[in-house]
Amino acid sequence: MPRNTIHRPTDGVGKQAASRGLDVRSLERIGSSLKAHYEDLVRTPIPAKFLELLDQLEANERTSSVGSAGKPR
Amino acid sequence: MNAHRVSEALANQGSFKDDLVAEIPGLRAFATSLCGSVSVADDLVQDALLKAWSNSSKFQPGTSLRAWLFTILRNSYYSQYRRRVREIQDSDGVYARGIAVAGDQESHLDLADFRKALGMLPPEQREVLTLVGASGLTYEEAAEICGVEVGTIKSRLSRARAKLSELLGLDE
Repeated sequence: MPRNTIHRPTDGVGKQAASRGLDVRSLERIGSSLKAHYEDLVRTPIPAKFLELLDQLEANERTSSVGSAGKPR
Repeated sequence: MNAHRVSEALANQGSFKDDLVAEIPGLRAFATSLCGSVSVADDLVQDALLKAWSNSSKFQPGTSLRAWLFTILRNSYYSQYRRRVREIQDSDGVYARGIAVAGDQESHLDLADFRKALGMLPPEQREVLTLVGASGLTYEEAAEICGVEVGTIKSRLSRARAKLSELLGLDE
């Protein structure tokens, strides 16, 4: 499955609201600030606890899968 | 299940885990934007990962994992966390790490000012701004995640931008 990229262009951010009275410059500033806000969060390193949690879930799955192999579900 | 099926299932599960890991940064960014608190956001993310794992059979391959995870997280937020966020009043240092200067584009507003304004919007507006304006989802995906029509997404987006503009004094 293809991974989404964060940088997919967001078309039309602005054009629609422009008709409601916001000028293009304001819309651009909001749009770029929003992206800066989001990118700053996305760049934050993933806390180890999430990786540990998924490792644990995966380990549990393996244990229970091996234990139940051959048994009907 | 025979041994081959078991190992196949494990291999698939492994890649599902990798896919989940790849979505964590976006999930945290969405959660933080939604609730305005980094620590509550991480609780939301952990909750969403647990739910996603135990419901992985309900995920339809070929559809957007990101949209599916966002839906799970959003539901938790509205059903369990929203009140809690109000109660704690964000004494934990909202966006503690948000000291980064907002990139290269000169049209950026000050990040701290922007976040303050964003936090003043109703969550319905914050989420649509985040989904469509920042995380790169389509209007259709955002509509599906929020359980509303595309037209509702568009009008919330317009209202959200107008409100932000007002709060930030852009139209003066």
